[in-house]
Amino acid sequence: MISVRRMLQQVLRVSGRSAFPLVKWMERWAEGAAADPQGTKVQAVRTLDDMPGPSVASFAWDLFAKRGLSRLHMLQLEGVRRYGPMWKASFGPILTVHVADPALIEQVLRQEGQHPMRSDLSSWKDYRKLRGHHYGLLTSEGQEWQTVRSLLGKHMLRPKAVEAYDKTLNSVVTDLIAKLRLSRRPQGLVPDIASEFYRFGLEGISSVLFESRIGCLDQVVPEETERFIRSINTMFVMTLLTMAMPSWLHQLFPKPWKVFCQCWDYMFDFAKGHINQRLTAEAEKVARGEKVEGRYLTYFLSQTGLPMKTVYSNVTELLLAGVDTISSTMSWSLYELSRHPEVQDSLRDEVLSVLEGRTVPEAADVARMPLLKATVKEALRLYPVIPANARVITERDIQVGGYIIPKNTLITLCQFATSRDPAVFPNPDDFQPHRWLNKDQTYHPYASIPFGVGKRSCIGRRIAELEVYLALARILIEFKVKPDPEGVSVKPMTRTLLVPEKVINLQFIEW
Amino acid sequence: MALVTALRRLTHVRLREYSRRTAMVTSSAWLTARRSFTGGTQPLRSSDKVTIHFINRDGEKITVKGSPGDSLLDVVINEDLDFDGFGACEGTLACSTCHLIFDEEFYKKLGRITDEEMDMLDLAYGLTDTSRLGCQICLTKSLEGMVARVPDSVADIRQSKDGSA
Repeated sequence: MISVRRMLQQVLRVSGRSAFPLVKWMERWAEGAAADPQGTKVQAVRTLDDMPGPSVASFAWDLFAKRGLSRLHMLQLEGVRRYGPMWKASFGPILTVHVADPALIEQVLRQEGQHPMRSDLSSWKDYRKLRGHHYGLLTSEGQEWQTVRSLLGKHMLRPKAVEAYDKTLNSVVTDLIAKLRLSRRPQGLVPDIASEFYRFGLEGISSVLFESRIGCLDQVVPEETERFIRSINTMFVMTLLTMAMPSWLHQLFPKPWKVFCQCWDYMFDFAKGHINQRLTAEAEKVARGEKVEGRYLTYFLSQTGLPMKTVYSNVTELLLAGVDTISSTMSWSLYELSRHPEVQDSLRDEVLSVLEGRTVPEAADVARMPLLKATVKEALRLYPVIPANARVITERDIQVGGYIIPKNTLITLCQFATSRDPAVFPNPDDFQPHRWLNKDQTYHPYASIPFGVGKRSCIGRRIAELEVYLALARILIEFKVKPDPEGVSVKPMTRTLLVPEKVINLQFIEW
Repeated sequence: MALVTALRRLTHVRLREYSRRTAMVTSSAWLTARRSFTGGTQPLRSSDKVTIHFINRDGEKITVKGSPGDSLLDVVINEDLDFDGFGACEGTLACSTCHLIFDEEFYKKLGRITDEEMDMLDLAYGLTDTSRLGCQICLTKSLEGMVARVPDSVADIRQSKDGSA
């Protein structure tokens, strides 16, 4: 069976596939044969040559001519439908194996090794090499990564450490509420909530990193913070584009790479400026004999003996990681809550009953708000901020789903596909937070893992969760959130991250 | 600005050296945290310690003592117990590799489980009704004589199946 398939594949490859109906039929037959090995008694281990997938040309055509880059998450669903849970495709010069089944994703992650690597080739790394910057947590590998991860992990992820941020974050949330009130137009309509939450995200992560405020939620927003946010957005668009473009195309169209570098230059400058300003202020305090508290992350990092270049790159990456992620999660949660008033009412009741007359929730209160947690979980299932994660196993070949995957192969974990898989989640496209509270119903634990799993999972997870919980609870106490009366339904699109395709406007009606 | 440059010069170490240096910083900061965790600088008498029996993946029983307030992951590290891959995320509740299985009797004494631990535990291999994450269990005198079994990991199963590492 396998040899027939291989032969067929070779024939198909030379005959310019997908050109003729007959070829298409044969292709389907061949792929069907590979996807259903039950008929054969001995299941031989297959190699990448046996793996189905689109040809280099057809995938490139999808990406560039059919807006495929912004529909990458939809291409995951198409991939599952056409090829089954595993397929290969060439993303620009890189061949990557897609895995779109929870049990197979589990198999990959359980073999990720001591220093898990997301991707060894990336435009982010290329930029840092070009400019002589150091790597941050998102881009470093091996022992270099482990050192910083260990230092920051205990301050950012341990439950006790995270609780300590609730006061800092609550003061940012207070400003967010005031800002939302200011932004309201007639009928309480706040246009483009995502951009309000970009500023909230940046202010939040800055308060954690610098323990000082940078004015994103002031009436007049400083131009430098707006430019920082724009740079992140553009950089994410250019990330996919620059990686998908083969080198000869870069020669023809140098602009994407140039813009990409300019965005990073600005982000590094921004972070460096704030770090230097903060550390200079501390140094002056010390010089005057004053006591320095220094409980914030930048100060802590600067005291560890790491080179300043490493501090700069890590703070830059932490800053940018806290903006789109928070904005998308807040936007989608409120978008869905506005369209499900019954869920919103139950959630508000839960928050009010836990607070018993208080107006500002604290970290300890959140532990008693299961529906709040389920709401965010459900929003992240429907709209995982990272629609596709990745792993490169460098130590050895691994076996996944009956295939041998050679070491150093880029493995794309299709998280958007698994979290919308109807076989795992009934009515997968419906917003149903209560599905997470039903004790009799369990889902494959690896089907929806928006923060990733394990030692390379999101380091900001717990702080981000707390930030989103505190903000959503406060917004629901203050406002009834309704859809824009003239609004339309909004779908997600891929911009490296998953973001709303159109602006989301919502009504914030005072209670 | 000059101050910052000076600071930078002071803290600058070559890349090759810094991982070693920061490793030292990590462990000393960690020890400080541990000391404050147990509350006070007075050394604990050995009679204050709690006896724990670990059963490793080969079925061997390893008996050690830990200080009240320490987590079971702390004990595994302090006692240098060699459970391959155990505690990969260093107690930051980001993985489930410090998964331990308890007897019914002691499981009930382990205290409340948070949603966050529950979610991580769901991802553990070979989950049972009396499973917990070692990093979230703090020792108390009432846990004296507790037995904690280290479950098989996927890696072990693969190794025994095809005989390769």
